[in-house]
Amino acid sequence: MPTLPSHVPLSLVVGQDRRAASDGDVARALSAGETWAAAETWRRFAPMVLTLAKRTLGSPSEAEDVGQEVFCRVYRRVKTLRDPDSFRGFVYACALRVLQNELHRKKMRSWLSFEQPDVLDCHGSGTPDMESRDLLRKFYGLLDRLAARDRIVFVLRRVESMSVEEIAAATETSESTVKRSLARASNRLSRWMDDEPRSVDGARWGR
Amino acid sequence: MSELKESPTLTEATDLCRDALGPPTTAELDRGLDGFLARISPTKTRPRRFVRWSLAGVAVAVCTLVALQVVSVLRQRWSAGEAPTLAYRVDGGSVLEGGYLRESGHAGMNVVFNEGSRLTLAPGTRSRLRVVDRDGAHVAIERGRGSFQVAHKSNRRWLVDVGPFLVTVTGTVFTVSWDPVSEEFDLRLREGSVLVSGPVSAGEIPLRAGQRLVANLAKVETVITEDTPDQMSSESPSAPPVPAVTPPGLQPSAPRPSPAPVAPVASKAFTPAKLASDYQWSRKLARGQWDRILQDANRIGVEATLSEASSEDLFALANAARYRHRSDLARSALLAERRRFPESPRVLEATYLLGRVEEARESGTAQAIAWYDEYLTCAPTGPLVGEALGRKMTLTDKLEGPARARSLADEYLRRFPKGNYAGSARELLAP
Repeated sequence: MPTLPSHVPLSLVVGQDRRAASDGDVARALSAGETWAAAETWRRFAPMVLTLAKRTLGSPSEAEDVGQEVFCRVYRRVKTLRDPDSFRGFVYACALRVLQNELHRKKMRSWLSFEQPDVLDCHGSGTPDMESRDLLRKFYGLLDRLAARDRIVFVLRRVESMSVEEIAAATETSESTVKRSLARASNRLSRWMDDEPRSVDGARWGR
Repeated sequence: MSELKESPTLTEATDLCRDALGPPTTAELDRGLDGFLARISPTKTRPRRFVRWSLAGVAVAVCTLVALQVVSVLRQRWSAGEAPTLAYRVDGGSVLEGGYLRESGHAGMNVVFNEGSRLTLAPGTRSRLRVVDRDGAHVAIERGRGSFQVAHKSNRRWLVDVGPFLVTVTGTVFTVSWDPVSEEFDLRLREGSVLVSGPVSAGEIPLRAGQRLVANLAKVETVITEDTPDQMSSESPSAPPVPAVTPPGLQPSAPRPSPAPVAPVASKAFTPAKLASDYQWSRKLARGQWDRILQDANRIGVEATLSEASSEDLFALANAARYRHRSDLARSALLAERRRFPESPRVLEATYLLGRVEEARESGTAQAIAWYDEYLTCAPTGPLVGEALGRKMTLTDKLEGPARARSLADEYLRRFPKGNYAGSARELLAP
C-alpha cells in the first residue's frame, strides 16, 4: 500500500536535554557556535519578542520581520554578552533596540513618501469585531504620532504590564525618564483619543 | 508634566490590544525559525554579507562621485562668482575723471592689467577706460593708436571702441588705430581672432591672425589684407610706439583743463553705471547705426537731446549727423558739447570738428577758418594742430588767395615738414 506524502512541514525538533539547559547555557552554546543553540534561543524567546513586536507595531507581518532582525542581532552579538545568565534581558534589550530603529524608519518613510502605512491586520487569538478593529486602527494611528521612545514605554507599561523599574532596566534609562515618557504618552493619547473621530485612517498623515 | 485622567477609550484600546495581539501561533513560530536558521546559516550569511558590502561599496562610490561633482560645480561657480576684479596700473600717464587717460610725457602710455593683459598707447593717443570690472574691460580709443596684448580668460570680455568701430576681443594680440581727421580705422591682428563691427558693414567682420583691416569712412573704402611676417613682427606691441597722429617735432601737450587726476590703481573707482551714457549712442555709432541715433534724437526731441544728453552721447550724435551730412544737427551737437561741457576733453576736438562741419557748407569757409583759429589758439600744441593749420592754410588760399596763405604754408612746413599738407604748402611757396 503506497504511503501518502505528508503535508506537515518539517521543523527542527530539539531534544529534551537541550530544553532543560539554562539561559546561560544556551547563551554560551550560541556563543560557541553550536547549531542547536540557535533553534533553542528562538524557541525560548521568540514568543516574547514577537508578541512585543506585534503589540508595539500593530502589524503581525512587520513583527515577523522585526523578530528575524532581533534574533540575527542576538546571534551576531552574543559574544559581547558578559553575563550569560542575563541572556533573556539581553534578547529583550536587542528587541527594544530593533523596535526603536524600526519605528524611526517608519517615521522617516512616512515623511519621505506618500505611501499609506500598513493597515492594521489583527490575526490574534480572538479576532476582534469591526468596531474593535476600528478602535485598534485608531489606537495605532495615534501611537504613530508619538516619539519612538514614548511609544515603546507606553506599550511596555500599559500593554505588556511591565513595572517602571523593569522598563527602566530594559531600556537602560532612569526610572524618572520612564515616568516622564509614560506621562507624556498617556496624556497625549488620552487627549487625542477623545478629540479624534473613531476612524483615523487619514489622521496619521495629517500631523 | 501634569497628568490628565486617562481616557476610557484609551484604556479600552490598550486592553483590546493586549487581547487581540496575543502570542504568536505555532505556525508563525515555525515559519520564523526556518527563516532565522536560513539567515544565520554560513552558506547564506557569506553571500548576503558579500552582497551587502558590495552594495555598500557601490553606494559609497556613487556618493563620492556625486559629492566630487557637486564640489567641482560649486567650486567653479564660487570661483566664477569670486573672480578678482580686473585691476590695472598706468605707466607714463594718469587717469582722469571718466576714465580718460592722460600722458604725463610724450612717450606714450602703458596700461598693465593684473590678469596679464597689456595696452600700449602711442604718443598723442586719446583713449579712455570706459569700464574695468570683474567681467572684463571696455576701452575706447578716440584717436591714435593702441597695441593690445589681451590674456585669454574665458570668463572675461574685452571690448575696444575705436572711433565708430567696435572690436570684440578674445585672447589676442593686435594693434589698432583711428584717425578722426582722415576717418581711417586700421587694425593689424598678430595672434588670435577678433570681431570688428562698425559703419562699413552690416554685421561683424571676423579677422584671424595675420590679417589687416583698413577702413576709410571718408573714401568709403574697406580693405582686408594679409600681413607678411615682416610686417607683423614690426608691429609688435612691445616695440617702441610710433607716433601715428601727432606730427614729429611736436612739443609735449600742454595740460588740458580737466579735473585732478585720480589714483590709477583701483578700478573700483570706475562704476560702469556712471560711465555709461544715457542713450548708449556711442555703442550704436560703433555698430554703424547712425540712422537709429538720429531717429532716437528726433523721438526725444532735438532741443531736449541737446540740453540733456551726456557729453559722450552728444559727441556720438554729432558724428552720426556728420556721417549722414546733417550739418546743422552736427553743428548744434558740437556747440552744445562746447557750451555744456566746457571742461570736457572733447571740447577741443569739437572745436576742430566745427571747422570741418562749416567747411561742408558752401558759405561756411570763413566760419571754418574761425574755428580752426580758435583751436590753434586754445591748443597751440594740441594733437590736431597740424590738421587745423593745414585746413586753415587751404581755406585761406581758397578764400583770400595764395598771398595770404603763404605765411601759413611757411609756418606749416617749419613745424610739420612731413605733414599731410606739406605738399600743398610747398606748392604755395613755390615761385
